[in-house]
Amino acid sequence: MELESNSLEKEQVKGAGQGQPSPYASATPGHQPWTLTPGSAGVEWNSYRTDNGSVENGIPSISSYHDDQQTKNTAAFQDGRNVVSYASSVGANTSHDYSAYITNQNSTDPYPYQYQSQYYGYQHSSNDSSHQQVGVVQNTGAPYQPLSSFQNASSYVGPTSYSSTYYNPGDYQTTAGYQPAAAGYQSSDYNNQTNLWNDGNYVPHQYSNYSLPDANAGQCSSTATVDAAHYQQQYGQWAGYYSQTASDVMCAPGTEHVALTSVSAESSVPDFNPGYPVVNSQPPPPGTTSWGRDTTSSGFPSLQGKDVAGYSQNSNWQNGPLVFAKQHGSQAPLHFQQTLGSTPPSYANMEEQQKMAHAQGSHVRFPSSNQVPQNFRPALNPLPTLEALRASKIQIPTNPRIATNLALSIPKMDKESSARDAASTPAYINVSSSKPSSKLSSHDSAESLTKQDFFPPSIRAYVERSFARCRDDAQRLSNQNLLKEIITKASTDGTLFTLDWDTEPLFPLPTTSFDARNKGSPQTSVSLSPLHKLRRSPSRRTKSRWEPVVEEKVVDKVAHLTHVSVDNTSFNRFRTEKVSDVARYESKGNGWNNTKFVSSQQTSSNRNVQRPAKKPRFSDSDAVQNGSVSSDSDKDQDLTKYHSSAISLANSPEERKKREHRSKRFEKGQERLAEQKNYQPKALRQGGGRNRRSNIPLILKNEDGPKRAVEDIDWDSFTVKGTCQEIEKRYLRLTSAPDPSTVRPEDVLEKALAMVQSTSKNYLYKCDQLKSIRQDLTVQRIRNELTVKVYETHARFALEAGDMPEYNQCQSQLKTLYAEGIKGCNFEFSAYNLLCVILHSSNNRELLSSMGRLSPEAKRDETVKHALQVRSAVTSGNYVLFFRLYKKAPNLSTCIMDLHVEKMRYEAVKCMSKSYRPTVPVAFVAQVLGFSSEDADGKDAGGVEDCAEWLRAHGATITVDGNGEMLLDSKVTSSGLYMPEPEDAVAHGDSNLAVDDFLARAAP
Amino acid sequence: MGDAHRRVGDFVRLFSDAFYSQEGSSLSPLLSVSSSSTSPFLLSVADGLAAFQDWGRLLKQVDGQLEDILSHLLRAVQSFRAGRFMDAYIAFEKSANAFLQEFRNWESAWALQPLYTIAYEIRVLAEKADWELGSLGKNPEKLKGAGSYLMKVFGALASKGPKRVGALHVTCQLFKIYFKLGTVHLCRSIIRSIETARIFDFEEFPLRDKVTYMYYTGRLEVYNENFLAAEQKLMYALSHCNFRREANIRMILKYLIPVKLSLGILPTEFLIEKYNLVEYTRVVQALKRGDIRLLRGALLEHENRFLKSGVYLVLEKLELQVYQRLMKKIYMLQRLKDPSKAHQVKMEVVVKALKWLEMDVDIDEVECIMAILIYKNLMKGYFAHKSKVVVLSKQDPFPKLNGKPVGA
Repeated sequence: MELESNSLEKEQVKGAGQGQPSPYASATPGHQPWTLTPGSAGVEWNSYRTDNGSVENGIPSISSYHDDQQTKNTAAFQDGRNVVSYASSVGANTSHDYSAYITNQNSTDPYPYQYQSQYYGYQHSSNDSSHQQVGVVQNTGAPYQPLSSFQNASSYVGPTSYSSTYYNPGDYQTTAGYQPAAAGYQSSDYNNQTNLWNDGNYVPHQYSNYSLPDANAGQCSSTATVDAAHYQQQYGQWAGYYSQTASDVMCAPGTEHVALTSVSAESSVPDFNPGYPVVNSQPPPPGTTSWGRDTTSSGFPSLQGKDVAGYSQNSNWQNGPLVFAKQHGSQAPLHFQQTLGSTPPSYANMEEQQKMAHAQGSHVRFPSSNQVPQNFRPALNPLPTLEALRASKIQIPTNPRIATNLALSIPKMDKESSARDAASTPAYINVSSSKPSSKLSSHDSAESLTKQDFFPPSIRAYVERSFARCRDDAQRLSNQNLLKEIITKASTDGTLFTLDWDTEPLFPLPTTSFDARNKGSPQTSVSLSPLHKLRRSPSRRTKSRWEPVVEEKVVDKVAHLTHVSVDNTSFNRFRTEKVSDVARYESKGNGWNNTKFVSSQQTSSNRNVQRPAKKPRFSDSDAVQNGSVSSDSDKDQDLTKYHSSAISLANSPEERKKREHRSKRFEKGQERLAEQKNYQPKALRQGGGRNRRSNIPLILKNEDGPKRAVEDIDWDSFTVKGTCQEIEKRYLRLTSAPDPSTVRPEDVLEKALAMVQSTSKNYLYKCDQLKSIRQDLTVQRIRNELTVKVYETHARFALEAGDMPEYNQCQSQLKTLYAEGIKGCNFEFSAYNLLCVILHSSNNRELLSSMGRLSPEAKRDETVKHALQVRSAVTSGNYVLFFRLYKKAPNLSTCIMDLHVEKMRYEAVKCMSKSYRPTVPVAFVAQVLGFSSEDADGKDAGGVEDCAEWLRAHGATITVDGNGEMLLDSKVTSSGLYMPEPEDAVAHGDSNLAVDDFLARAAP
Repeated sequence: MGDAHRRVGDFVRLFSDAFYSQEGSSLSPLLSVSSSSTSPFLLSVADGLAAFQDWGRLLKQVDGQLEDILSHLLRAVQSFRAGRFMDAYIAFEKSANAFLQEFRNWESAWALQPLYTIAYEIRVLAEKADWELGSLGKNPEKLKGAGSYLMKVFGALASKGPKRVGALHVTCQLFKIYFKLGTVHLCRSIIRSIETARIFDFEEFPLRDKVTYMYYTGRLEVYNENFLAAEQKLMYALSHCNFRREANIRMILKYLIPVKLSLGILPTEFLIEKYNLVEYTRVVQALKRGDIRLLRGALLEHENRFLKSGVYLVLEKLELQVYQRLMKKIYMLQRLKDPSKAHQVKMEVVVKALKWLEMDVDIDEVECIMAILIYKNLMKGYFAHKSKVVVLSKQDPFPKLNGKPVGA
C-alpha cells in the first residue's frame, strides 16, 4: 500500500509541477527507500510535501501519503482555495488505517472545512470540559475511531465554532430542504436546522448528524458499490427534479421561486397539499419575493447546468463550490469502493445531504414543514421502531424520483414502512405545515433582536440569554415582547449603552404553562391541525390545544418566509421525542450545558456507530438504538399528566388573542431585520445561546477583535463613581447595574462607617448598613484600608451576634484584602480564622495551610498564640486546657470558641466517665469544664448547678453522697451519655436564622 | 543564516518523520522544550530559530495539524531559550492541544511516550511561567491551566483502547500539580475514576506509575489521618519502587515514618540516617524516652518543614504516646522499688516528672492527660479523683499499639 501510494504520489509530484527543487532532497538521503525512481532524484516524503506546499497543493499530497485511494483523487483537489482549508483540517494524518477518516473529511466538503477552520479560530475559547468529554467518548468507540475522530474534528469544538458558521441563516437551513427527498437523512437535516439557533445545542446535533447517517449504514451498506456514474447521475437527477417540480407549479423553472420555494417540494407529494393551500394563499410580502428570487435564480440554474458556481452564493462556502462537483465525480465513488463498515455510507449520506443542501438553495420553507412531521410522528407511534420506519415512509412517497435515485437504501425502508403506516402519514405532514412557522417567526425575531448590528454585543448577549431560558414558543413570544419593551425603554431613556447588560438580571418569565406542553409534545402534537383531526380515529382527543395556535401561525408564516431561520423549539421538541437522552438534557431546563449534553449524546452516537455496520438494518436502526438508551415511550407516558392543564390554558380565547397580537407585532420588524441579518458578517452572529459567563469574551471578540487579551481592557473605565451624599442607606441587593446617583463616594462611606460604629441600634440595623457600605465599596472597586476597616467592623459585629454566615463572608474578603498587603488587624483576624478552621471546619489540610501561612511575627502575637494553643488543646482533646483558654480568650475569640464549647464538654464528659472511678464530684467537672464563672478555687454554686443540669440533660447519672455533694457516677454515666437534640433547633438547620431568637440577641 | 535554516529544517524534518512513522521514542525528545538548555540539538535549534527569523516559512511544507503542533512548539522552544517562560508556556500549550487533537485520532498507543513528555513539559513550563508571572506581580495561573490541560489528556486516555494504560501517568502528573497548588481536593474525582472505572485494571498500569500513584494517594490519606490506609499505600510505594532511587525512597519515608510512628512502629536509627531524615531523629528519641519536651522541641524546630509536608499534626498527636511512655517508665521504676504498690501511680509523681522536663502543667491538666490516656486505651486502669491516683491494671497496663492507630 505504501509502495503504491508512493508511486501515486510521484505521479502527483510530476503533475503538480514538481520542478521545484526540494531543499531537503540532498540533506536527507536517509529517506531514499521511499523514492521509487532514481531519476526523480530522491523525492522523498518531506521534499515531496515541500513541493506540494509550494504549489499550493499540499493536501492531496498528504492524503495520498496516507491513503492511496486518496491519491487518485488528487486531481479533484487542485483547487487552490480548497487547499487552504483542507490543509488545516486533514492536516497531519499519518495513519493509513484512517482512510475513512480522511475520506470523510473530503467528503463533507465545505462543512468540515469550515468547522475546522472555525475550530482553530476558537480553540482557546472553547471550554475545557467539552474537550475532556469529547475525549472520553471518542475513545469509547474504538473500532470506529476514525469516524468519531472525524466528529471531533468538526463537531466537538462546536459550541463556539459552529455558531459563526451556522449563523448564516439561509445557507445552512436549506439542508433541511433536502429532507423531503432523502428519507434516511431526515434526522440529520433537522439537526442542521436547529443548529442555526443555538450553538449551545449545537454539538449534540452535529453528533446525531454524523451518527445518524451512520446508523443508516445498515440500510445503506449496499451503497458501497455505488460508483461515480451513479452519483453523477443522481446529482443530475436531483437538479432535474427540482427544476421539474419548479416548472410544475410555476412556469419559469428555477427563477421565480418565491411561491415555488414552498410549493416545489409539496407539489410532488399530493398528500401534502391540504396543508399547504393556506400557505400559498398568503400573499408573499415584498421582501420575500425579492429574496427568494435572488437565491433561487442563482441556485437553481447552477444546479441544472451542474455549474458549481451557483453555490458561491453562500459566502460561507467559499471553497465549496469548485470542489464540490469534482468531489462528487471522483471522490465519492472511490470512497465507496474502498472502505468498509459504516463509515462509507455515512459519508455518502453526508455527501448527499450536502448536495441537497446546495441544491435546495433557498427553499426555506420545506425544511420547516418537513421537519414537523418528524416531530409529530412519535405521537402517532410511541414505538421508536415504527417511528423510524415512518420517517422513511413519509419521505419516500413524497419524492418518488429521489427514491429511485437513492434506490440502494431507501426502497427497502419504503417497503417495510409503507405496509405499516401508509395511511396515517399524510396527516402528519399536514399538521406540520402550519405549526413550525410560528415558532420560526418568534424565534426569528429573537434572532433578529439579537443579531442586530445596531445593538452593542452585551445586549445581544442579554437577549440571547433571555431566549436561552425559554422552553417553548409561548415563552419565547412573551419573552420577546418583554425584551422589546425593555430595550425600547432602555433606548428611550438613553440607558441602552450605559446599562451593564452583562450583569443585568433577566426579567421573570411568564408562567411556563407551555413547558408541560412542550414536554408532552409527543401526544399533543398529534392533534395539530383540524384536517388531521378529521382523519384521526375518534377515540383520540378531539380538541387540540394547538388549534388556536395554528391560525395565528399561518399569519406568521409570511414573516417566516422571509427569514431563513430555524427554530429552537421545534428542535427541542424533536429532541424530546426522538432521542431520549436528548430529552434528558432538555429536562435539565434551558441551561445550555454543552458538556453534559455532549456526553449523553455521545453515548448514543457511539452506539450508533458501533452497531449498524454488521447486519444490514433498515431505517429503524437509529430509532431502536435510541430507544435502547432510554425508553421514549416511558417518558411519553410520564408526560401525559401535564396535558390537561396545558390544554385549558392554551385554549383560552384571551391567550389566543394575546398570542396573535404578539406575533403580528413583530412581523414588520422581522422582515427588516431579517434582511439586515442576511448581510451581516458572520462574526457578528456568533454566540447564540451562550451563557452569561461568556459574555465578556463576546464583548472582546466583537468590539476589539479576537486577539485582544482580557488584561488589556481598561476595566477601570467601567467603574462606577458614586455621587450620593447620604450617610445612611438601606441595603438592597442590586438587580441592575449600579446607578451612580445612589452610590456613595469614599468620603461619605467613611462617615457612614463611623456612624454605624457609634450607633446604638441593634445588629440588624448595623448589618444592613454595613452591607450597603460594602456594596458601594464593591461597585466602585474601592479596596483600601477603609474597605478592610468596614469588613473588620462587620466581622466583629457578626461575631458578637453569632452571625457566622456573615462573618465568613467578611473573613474571606479580609483574607484576600490582607493578601493584597492592605493593613488592618491582620493578627486578630488570622487568629479568628485559625479558630474557625480548627473549631468548625476541622479540615486538616486547611488548618495546615493556615498555620503555614502565619508569619513569625504573627506567631508572637498574643491572639494568634492563644488560637494556636486552642488548636493544640482541641487536637489533643485536652479539655482542661481548652476551658482555661476559653476563659482568658482575647478579643472576640470567645465568641468563636463559644460555638465549640458544647462539643468539647461532651467529649470531656465522655472521657471522664470512662476513666474516672468510681465517681467524680460535679463541682470538679463544673470547674474543669468552665461552668463556674470564677477562678478554679472560688467554687461557684451556680456553676455547679448549671453543670449538674447540663450533665443530666446529656444522660449522666448524678448521685448525692452523705455530705450533700453531687457526684457523677462515672460507670453508669459512661454508657448512658448522649447528645441531646438542640432545643433551639429550627427547620432550616441554622438557629441563627430563627427570628425570635435572633431578634432577641440582636437587640441593643 | 544557512546553518540556522538547516538546523530548523532538520528539526522540522525529524519531527515530521517521527510523527508520520509513529516513532514515539524519537518524537519524545523533540518535544522536550525544557531540556533545550541541556540538549545540544534543541539548543542549536533554539539558536537557529533566533537567527533565522523567517522560520515560519519552513512550516509551509507540512500540513495542517502538524504545522499547528510544530509552529507553536518551535515558538515555545524559542521563547524558552530567550527566558520568556510565560510565552513558552502559552505556545507549548497550543502545541500540546494540537497534539492532543491528533492523539485522539490514533487508535494505537504509540504516542503515549510523546504524550508523557508533553505532560511533563507542560507542568514544568507552567511552573516556570508562574514563577515569571509571580515575579511580575501577576496572578500565577498557568499551573492551573496545565492542570486543566492534563485533565483533557486524562479524558482522552480514559477509554477502553490501548491508550488507557497511560491514564495513570497523567494522573500522577496531575497529582503533582494539585499538591503544588494546594488543591488536593481535586484529586478526589480522578482517584474515583481510576479506582472505580471498569476500564481500568490497576495491575495493568506500568509499575512506576503505580508507585507514584500510591505515594500520592498515601499522602492524601495522611492528610485525612487515615493511618492504616496511608501505611498500606506508602508501603506499596516503598516496596515497589526502585531501590536505587534513594531520593524517591526518601520522599516516601518522609511520610511513611510519621505514619508508622503513629501506629507505634519506630524506625531504626540506621534508616533515618541512611535517608537523611534527621528531622525525625529527635521525635523518635522522644518516643523512646517518654520525653515530652524533646518532642515539642523537635516540632518547634522543624515546624515549617512539617507544616509544609503536612505531617505536623500527625507528629503532634504522638504526644499521647510520649505520655504513655513516661507513665510506663514511672510504673517500672515503682515496680523496682515496691512491686506490690507499683500499679498505683500518684499524680504528684507525674507532676514532678513533668516539672523536671520543664513542662508547665498543674495537677488538673495531668489528671486530664491521664483521663485521655485511659480513654484512648493507651493505659489500662482508672483514675481515682479523690485520692488523685491512677490505678493501673495488673495485666498489661500499657498495651502496645502494634500497628493499630491510637484510640482504635
